[in-house]
Amino acid sequence: MPHLEVRDVVARYGSHEVLSGVSLDVDRGEVVALVGPSGSGKSTVLRVLVGLLQPVSGSVRVGGQAVDYRSAGQVRAIRNRMAIVFQQYNLFQNMDVMRNVTLAPIRIKRRDRREVETLAVALLERVGLGQKLHAFPDELSGGQQQRVAIARALALRPEILLLDEVTSALDPELVNEVLDVIRDLAREGMTMILVSHEMAFVREVADRVVMMDKGQVIESGPPAEILDAPRTERAREFFGKILRH
Amino acid sequence: MNYTFQFGVVWRDLGALMDGALVTFQLGLLAFWGGALIGLAGAALKTFGPRPVRALVDTYVVFLTNTPALIQIYFLYFGLAEFRIRWSGEFCLLLGLTLNAGAYLTMIMRAGFLSVRRAEMEAGEVLGMTRLQQISYIIAPHIARTIYPALANFFIVILVMGTSIGAVIGVDELTGTAITLATVNYRWLEYFTVVAGLYIVLTLIASVGLALFGRWAFRVKARVF
Repeated sequence: MPHLEVRDVVARYGSHEVLSGVSLDVDRGEVVALVGPSGSGKSTVLRVLVGLLQPVSGSVRVGGQAVDYRSAGQVRAIRNRMAIVFQQYNLFQNMDVMRNVTLAPIRIKRRDRREVETLAVALLERVGLGQKLHAFPDELSGGQQQRVAIARALALRPEILLLDEVTSALDPELVNEVLDVIRDLAREGMTMILVSHEMAFVREVADRVVMMDKGQVIESGPPAEILDAPRTERAREFFGKILRH
Repeated sequence: MNYTFQFGVVWRDLGALMDGALVTFQLGLLAFWGGALIGLAGAALKTFGPRPVRALVDTYVVFLTNTPALIQIYFLYFGLAEFRIRWSGEFCLLLGLTLNAGAYLTMIMRAGFLSVRRAEMEAGEVLGMTRLQQISYIIAPHIARTIYPALANFFIVILVMGTSIGAVIGVDELTGTAITLATVNYRWLEYFTVVAGLYIVLTLIASVGLALFGRWAFRVKARVF
């Protein structure tokens, strides 16, 4: 049984349907990459999963349990199991790095302060920011901010980590420091869904690639298969455009 | 010009002028805090309130920012007296300044409310924060930091320009005190020179204090000078 099971999810922004029946399975320890043209609904899938956008229909099961996104309690519970990292990092500008990472575990989840702080320092060291514990976001580069955001998500000890185009807003020379962190996480068996345009990275790190277009999944399979020998015309066209250079 | 400056009389009255300066400072501070509370409530109502309440806030802001504070205070002091409501000059000045500041601060704080990044709110939400936690951990500090420079400037405006209106309704703040004293010996130029100096000292104290506080509390990057 897959750890995360998404079935026929439909979601709308106003009257605009962004997901028209998306299904997706993710096993424990699996890294799934969502790819596709912009506007195809990749990010929306992640937003639905963490409860930022309520699905109109369809079902989501985590560890076999159905999630009711209309229930505030269940949404809160699901946010204990999944964490998301955004494209624009979205760090709290008025807090230093440590507080950005520890605020939610200590104040919201009511975990032991000492234990959380030790974990936070370990996580920040691991993403290479052991020297920046008390820096504020506006004193850090984009790559550093994004690594703090990853540490903040990991401090929640999520079962599934969602990464929404985490390198798209970064200067090219800062992309690798963030990808290195993700590569490490994949190696350690973290379950992840990542939306990415870095095809070389997707090929290297993903166990499975899911290609989306117009709010639907059009292909899914191992990276080599999807990236090198896409079956559908739409996928061939998309990869033809982005892999040419 | 054949004017001979004689500061001797002014120095003798320095104690009275300092008392006036203290009154000015107290009035400025009280009006500012009162105005800040009104402004916070006004901005919240204007942002989140139902339509009629928003219209009411708009009306208040339009009337009080588009009429001179002097007229508003005259209205309270002389106007209400016609209806047998007689308040002291100090009270009318304080009330007028507070209401006037409240209108300006409503606009300033509203700008702060609008500047909160939706993305930061979402980040808080996915970390499991409730609406109230998002307000106290993200919105409030953000607003404080964003609007602090504007607030600090406005405090100086009330302190210097606002309170001196007291002179025309007999309040013994700094300007009023100087006018009262100068009518006795006609040393206007000397009194006003010293008064100007005292205003500058007050302003400097306030600016430095505000800049240091802002830096400490909200990491506002303001230069002290």
